[in-house]
Amino acid sequence: MLARIAYQVYWIGRYVARAEFTARMLDGVFQASLQAQGDISRQPLSWEAVMAVMGAEPDGSGPVPASDAVRALTLDPESPASVTACVDRAREGARTVRDVVSTEMWEALNTLFLELNDSDLGAALRTGPYSVYSFVRERCALWWGLADETMLRDGSYFFLGAGRHSESAEMIVRMLRVALSGRAGSDPATEGNSALALLQAVGGLEAFRRSVPTPVGPGPVVEFLTFETDYPHSVAASIESLLAALDEVSADGRGTAPVLRLARLRAELEFHRGLDTEIGDELDPVRDGRPMTALLEHIQRELAVVDAEVERRYFTGETPQRQVVSA
Amino acid sequence: MRFEIRYAAEYRYPEPVTDSLNTVRVQPAVTSLQSLESFELRVEPEARIQERRDYFGTDVLEFEIGDPHDRLSMFAHAEVLTEEPPAPPTGSWDAVGEERYRRLAGEFLLQDPTEMPAQNGLDDLVAGVCESSPLETALRTTEAIPDRFEYQPGKTFVGSTVSDLLAAGGGVCQDFVHLGLILLRSHGIGARYVSGFLFAAPPDGGRDSVEVQTHAWIEALLPPESGEPRWVGFDPTNRGFAGETHVKIGHGRNYQDVPPIRGVYRGPAAEHLEVAVKMRRRNGDG
Amino acid sequence: MRNMEVARSGSSPSAVPRALAAVSSEYETPPGFVDELFDEAGEPREHARELVASLDRMGRVPLLELGRRRDRAFTQRGITFEITSPDRQARDRPFPLDLVPRVVPASEWEAIDAGLRQRIKALNAFIGDVYGRQEILREGVIPWALVLGCPSFRRAVHGVRPPGGIWCTVAGCDLVRDGDGTWRVLEDNVRTPSGVSYVLENRLAMTRLVPELFAGYRVQPVDGYPALLREALLEVAPALGDEATVVVWTPGPANSAYFEHAFLARQMGVELVEAGDLVVRDEVCYMRTTSGLTRVDAIYRRLDDDFVDPLEFRPDSLLGVPGLTRAIRAGSLALANAIGTGVADDKAVYRYVPEMIRYYLGEEPELANVETYLLRNREELALALERIDSLVLKPTNESGGKGVFVGPSASDEEIARQREATLRDPSRWIAQELVHLSTAPTVTSDGSLVPRHVDLRPFAVYGSEVRIIPGGLTRVALQEGSMIVNSSRGGGSKDTWVLRPEPGEITRTMRAVAEPPELPVMPALGTGAWTSQQQQQQQGKAG
Repeated sequence: MLARIAYQVYWIGRYVARAEFTARMLDGVFQASLQAQGDISRQPLSWEAVMAVMGAEPDGSGPVPASDAVRALTLDPESPASVTACVDRAREGARTVRDVVSTEMWEALNTLFLELNDSDLGAALRTGPYSVYSFVRERCALWWGLADETMLRDGSYFFLGAGRHSESAEMIVRMLRVALSGRAGSDPATEGNSALALLQAVGGLEAFRRSVPTPVGPGPVVEFLTFETDYPHSVAASIESLLAALDEVSADGRGTAPVLRLARLRAELEFHRGLDTEIGDELDPVRDGRPMTALLEHIQRELAVVDAEVERRYFTGETPQRQVVSA
Repeated sequence: MRFEIRYAAEYRYPEPVTDSLNTVRVQPAVTSLQSLESFELRVEPEARIQERRDYFGTDVLEFEIGDPHDRLSMFAHAEVLTEEPPAPPTGSWDAVGEERYRRLAGEFLLQDPTEMPAQNGLDDLVAGVCESSPLETALRTTEAIPDRFEYQPGKTFVGSTVSDLLAAGGGVCQDFVHLGLILLRSHGIGARYVSGFLFAAPPDGGRDSVEVQTHAWIEALLPPESGEPRWVGFDPTNRGFAGETHVKIGHGRNYQDVPPIRGVYRGPAAEHLEVAVKMRRRNGDG
Repeated sequence: MRNMEVARSGSSPSAVPRALAAVSSEYETPPGFVDELFDEAGEPREHARELVASLDRMGRVPLLELGRRRDRAFTQRGITFEITSPDRQARDRPFPLDLVPRVVPASEWEAIDAGLRQRIKALNAFIGDVYGRQEILREGVIPWALVLGCPSFRRAVHGVRPPGGIWCTVAGCDLVRDGDGTWRVLEDNVRTPSGVSYVLENRLAMTRLVPELFAGYRVQPVDGYPALLREALLEVAPALGDEATVVVWTPGPANSAYFEHAFLARQMGVELVEAGDLVVRDEVCYMRTTSGLTRVDAIYRRLDDDFVDPLEFRPDSLLGVPGLTRAIRAGSLALANAIGTGVADDKAVYRYVPEMIRYYLGEEPELANVETYLLRNREELALALERIDSLVLKPTNESGGKGVFVGPSASDEEIARQREATLRDPSRWIAQELVHLSTAPTVTSDGSLVPRHVDLRPFAVYGSEVRIIPGGLTRVALQEGSMIVNSSRGGGSKDTWVLRPEPGEITRTMRAVAEPPELPVMPALGTGAWTSQQQQQQQGKAG
């Protein structure tokens, strides 16, 4: 398919995934703040944390007021992480590839866009943030559902999925890194609970309970979200899906650079999972001499390389010698 | 006269560019007054060079440089033998109106529609160059233009129109020629734009020309007393006929039909071009 | 059922309000013009009787409601056309389709078809000659200055012959029916004629919105066009036959006809590319795909020559692909239409098309021109200026109705301005006799029918031979009395029905045209009646 269209569709996938993830995170913080009953010091998941996950660094130090975080991550059209900005860009992209995206998909995305832009979002967020984020989550879920139901299984479908899984994998890794960094909650004593709060935010708590026999604790949660291939939004599962999508679009099958790298990464994860833990604390177990935090950092770096390789391999439409890597 | 011509052009780019496509018109023509003894074009980075003839019969060389590069150099080397033009035809105005003349002159009679604004402001000049015969008119044109306008590089640019020349009061040979074409065509004389090289003798009378760039002059179709009309060269920058020292590359309706170099590349629009032409008179003149 | 619906809409049953008056009851053809569906006595013509009866049965209010439904459907599907309104705002409005079709009997169409085929073959031969030996110019049949001075004469492709010698793969010659009933060609379009997607969409919309109107008619299908075009593109692609890669090249979504570009690409099952997707390397054209560079053999292009190749033409064109002309010269790529066809599009050259037909085909033209005067000629200029208030003046090198001056409807000030403009550069203008464009019944805002002027743009594809889609785009000037029909200037359109010949109807030699299956007709909503396509085929004309 045309490189330009593949590129557009890939990024639509990424933006929709990012918007959805951000909405979930923000919702999670609101939930956490409710649980803490207004006592910020007891809040297991803080605004700073979420902003750190999304890469939107807060100005200055100290606790971030809810309003600032909400603004930055929901309303700010300039911030690459904000929900409205992501939806804007996804919709703009979908407009230019109308032929590839079904009418129903377009309408789902367009409705989301219109709602976010037309209504007085600021007010809605103050009074009932849950409904805003819930609306975003619903529309995104509808989008993916329609993609599954109405898209032909051709290049567009797989690149859309590749964008989604690429973004998912990265988001989960970032989230876990923040959770393990001790910056997630306001109270260091309850830092273990932030991982839990995050799991709840991404909607995996119930799946976790069904899958893991041990009582809910921060360590098992991190393991679950990293390694559990049966849970679709774990790091391992996202990598697996991304690999499968790229495999489908590569005429030369297993031969391309990003596919090979992802296969290696998947193998590394399997390897790590199977090892016994050595000494180390509960939250940051060490396997094969490598603490969890180091593993996560490694994964994040590899995913960034894959991203660049995907762009070079599929979106420049060039012969290999002429490919120029963008910064 | 025998000349050795070395043409060197270099493009420099601030960042590497790719997919560079170029058409070059620097190969001297073969005419009744000129023969080409040798010609070679070299390009760096290396590229396959293809030859063809364009609509007007000019030899065109084309090449492509795809890979990233920040410099593009062209070197052309030619050996040419020129002859003194014969006495010009001295036919009258009657012949210019004839169907036979008009057919031979063809599209070179037609004014350039993009130069319309200029044409409307030139009535006095047009009237001023009108003489008793087409030949005299052409000669008068080569005087009237440098009388009125200064030769001044830097006042106009490659895409300039004659209106720009009129506004600036000065220009280069390309502008003088475009103006001359309008004047001659206004009188029904077929006139074409000629691109080429001019040997400018150095003050000390030596063999090496003063370093120049490519030159432009006019060819006008002049009717004879009897026989076929003939294209004759006139130089409005240097007053008078074009002669042995003028080496022709090709002709067209205007500059755009015979640009020495024309190219497109992929990259930021910030190229810097330097051109130098060296001409040397050789022994054994024909 | 219908009457009940109308009553429910709230009209009083006692008097006969406008809303209930028959749709056609007040129809009057303006004197001096021919109407497509009604005769001089105000009666429906034979081929229009069923149609008018169906419309009258339908009623004004339902007709208006169907119009609203059509607008909603078109807007939703993106079938829009951009117009620049007087306040300079570009707006997307739903493509204006009038629900009353124009009906053309088979025998009449045969004559048009034959005339157009002849004309297009001659135009193609002319273009080939002009970019080759130029014999028609040498022999003085056409003044050389007209061609060599034409801005669309592209010297860069002189001497280059496209595969099969086909220069105009697509052509759209605009036809009008004059006040005496004669069909005349108003203008030839062999550059990038547009509008065929509306022909197809209009027919689809009609079968869905007003299927009952089709009752009693056997209308020739139009949806063979994309297949014909694709075939012709494969025909013109160098050498490779069925393996050739064909694409549609669009300037992009900002272009007012983008909908059509995307539509045709989709219908033909080929990629829709923009300039950034194409690259020429080593005189071969490629498109950038996810598996690297893929060779392109033929391009159906929808941008003007000027913008096609910054290396040969306008250097500032960001819409072009550098080196395209080189690839064409090398014979590795074909463009449809070929570069340079604009030389046959020129309105001054139009004047000589009858001569071309005689010169290249040795035949007499079957379709007449409109009497045209070339103002570059002194005598014609003088005569034209004398009669400037009764003539139509057009710039020779424009399209889309731009710059057209209509003497009879111009103010004194406009006449003075036009006179001045003409004198400034006479060779830029032609003058034509005013054509009394025929009218056709068009639905107006109260649901009644009024006469509006129409023209006809049939679409031809020149592959191995010239094939013309039966019908084409009937364009309507929506303003009363106006004769400017271009959609970019606010015109509308009608579905054009070319009827199949009746058994026993004497027509010319029937040519076998590939006929794809007709679209299934949706049941007309609200009537409870099912109109099936098969029924239509079996029915002869009633009465």
